[in-house]
Amino acid sequence: MEPNPVPASFNIPIGPQHPALKEPGHFQFTVDGEIVTRAYVRLGYAHRGIEKAAEERNWIQDLYLLERVCGICSHIHAFSYCLAVEQLANVQAPPRAQAIRVLVAELERIHSHFLWMGVSAHEAGFDTLFMYSWRDRERVMDMLESLTGNRVNYSANILGGVKFDVDAAQAASIRLGLDFLEDRAHHYLNVLSKDAMFLQRTRGIGVMTRAQAEVMGAVGPTARASNVPRDLRVIAPYAAYPQFPVHMVLDTRGDLQARFEVRIQELFESIRVIRLILDSMPESELSVSMPRRIPAGEAVVRLEAPRGEVLYFVKSNGTDKPARLKVRTPTICNLNSVVRLVIGHQLADVPMILAGIDPCFSCNDRMVQVSRVGQGDPQDMSWAELRNYGINYYRRLSK
Amino acid sequence: MNAFLTVLRLLLFPGGLFLLVVGLFYQWFARKLLALLQNRIGPRWFQPFADTLKLLAKEEIVPDGVNPYLFIGLPVVALAGTLTAALYVPIAGLAPSYGFPGDLIVVLYLLSLLTLCTGLAGANTLDRFSLIGATRTLTQLFAYEAPFLLAMLGPAVMAGSWQIGAITEYARSHWLILTQPLGFIVAVVGLMGKLEMPPFDAPEAHTEIVAGALTEYSGRGLGLFNLGRAVELVVGLTLVSAVYLGGFASPLSFLAKSGAILFVLVGIQALLTRLRIDQTVGLWWRYGTLVVLAQWFVMIVVWR
Repeated sequence: MEPNPVPASFNIPIGPQHPALKEPGHFQFTVDGEIVTRAYVRLGYAHRGIEKAAEERNWIQDLYLLERVCGICSHIHAFSYCLAVEQLANVQAPPRAQAIRVLVAELERIHSHFLWMGVSAHEAGFDTLFMYSWRDRERVMDMLESLTGNRVNYSANILGGVKFDVDAAQAASIRLGLDFLEDRAHHYLNVLSKDAMFLQRTRGIGVMTRAQAEVMGAVGPTARASNVPRDLRVIAPYAAYPQFPVHMVLDTRGDLQARFEVRIQELFESIRVIRLILDSMPESELSVSMPRRIPAGEAVVRLEAPRGEVLYFVKSNGTDKPARLKVRTPTICNLNSVVRLVIGHQLADVPMILAGIDPCFSCNDRMVQVSRVGQGDPQDMSWAELRNYGINYYRRLSK
Repeated sequence: MNAFLTVLRLLLFPGGLFLLVVGLFYQWFARKLLALLQNRIGPRWFQPFADTLKLLAKEEIVPDGVNPYLFIGLPVVALAGTLTAALYVPIAGLAPSYGFPGDLIVVLYLLSLLTLCTGLAGANTLDRFSLIGATRTLTQLFAYEAPFLLAMLGPAVMAGSWQIGAITEYARSHWLILTQPLGFIVAVVGLMGKLEMPPFDAPEAHTEIVAGALTEYSGRGLGLFNLGRAVELVVGLTLVSAVYLGGFASPLSFLAKSGAILFVLVGIQALLTRLRIDQTVGLWWRYGTLVVLAQWFVMIVVWR
């Protein structure tokens, strides 16, 4: 019997289908025993062609399409798109509408951070925290449902304003819900920063220095946990944020523990801002009229989603459809850091570090480019080759 | 008549069918309790039975590149080992069916057979998750085995016998949890390691390595491994409660005492985060072993 050839490296594939991933993505980790020595990521499994689809629909229809870019931070996409289109049309949404948009965005941030906390606790094998934080997340989803009528795709925006008003009874019930959530967030902060077993899994794990975070272009809470002052609500306030300022939450440690604490501190900040908005909601109309055809031009809008910076580029050529629309979600900026940070850590820490950036694969999948085209592999085809293949295939069939 | 009794003991009570049913029931109890602690509803009482029946009825897929005899044989050996161990412990509060001087050691090794078989089953396949899982399973075995053994031998030394029946008799008049609390803690936590319960579930951490060593198993093999684990749960609980919690006067006290330990196990499981494999090994050799050795020192110097 021939001896087995010694493999040069032992690769652990994670994904596209793997219990640690809630969405398809592919990671390849080369391990030496339990230590990760190399990491590789491949995306593109959930590419849905949303940008192209947006060019086929008119400005109003796109609002509904883009709200579905992300299943968790749905509002922020419609919000960004509305701001960009309003900028192109030179229309300003009324102040009350802007305040309501910010209100929903902050409620969405609370919902997203609670969800994230559960998922990353689950990656660490702490299922009790997972179940509890998702139970409490139901409360904020109920609040969003009572406001907008929907739990996930709130559909709060229209071009030029919002669809609904917040009355006194709704404000009172939101305040009650906020009290409950604040209490729970204090409890979780206490658990996550004091539980010795949990600290063993987060303290000093996946440390990203400020310099690294800046070089790798990290955004959102991931960057702020490394002391990078990057929060668009503070450095480039939009909509109603100039009237209701947010304080930036920063942490100098840069490890997983810091990412947990930054996100929970942001919950308190969101709760404070929502209370502020409910206390002094500006009085005005809810929407202004928008032209059906948007004047030609280009607009770039950057908003702070729960995961970090969302960038929208919208180009109009004066018709009733956008000429080009580009979405960049925060996950694509942060993924780079995962591939670097896992090196030298144990395999057991990998799911935690990956979850630490709060990844959302379907949102960031924009385009798949196969770089091996033309190297003789019949499986790899260029677009023209694929088209010819299809034509010939059906020609053969019809003969 | 004697042969008939032997067959009865092996197939129905206390070995065989009775143990399988009780094991699955205990498994349900643990799952339901954990669910309630975690704010979930949890499975209905017959869920483990339904799962087992379904698995046993399903086709068993033997993957490429494995030794098929080992692949099919290992789950059978694992279940047989745990069922054999049950014959020497006071299941349901009754005296052990069989016994000989030194059977405590045999039982402890029979209980390790399940872990050993799991590790071998993982190493037998080519699957990368299985290989990592197998390495972790066996690493963990070497971590908890020595402290657990020492913790179980403490009462044996006090009773002056290495026969489980004799230790249980001695324990009925001495609640050893009071005189050897450290040994009891190590034994209970060691049982958790043996059963790969959280926080010692790194060998099957599904967010990292899917199902660990058993990733390639489906159908009958998986069903038998699961049954083996269910039986091991009962035998382990029986052993620890018989030795440390004052023996059993009746089946009712068996139910109460083993249930109480299971309650503690599930409570710990709900409270803690999974340990990495290096942390597990560190915990056992840095603290577990030292604690139990301190217990032995006190025992030998003070009482003997």
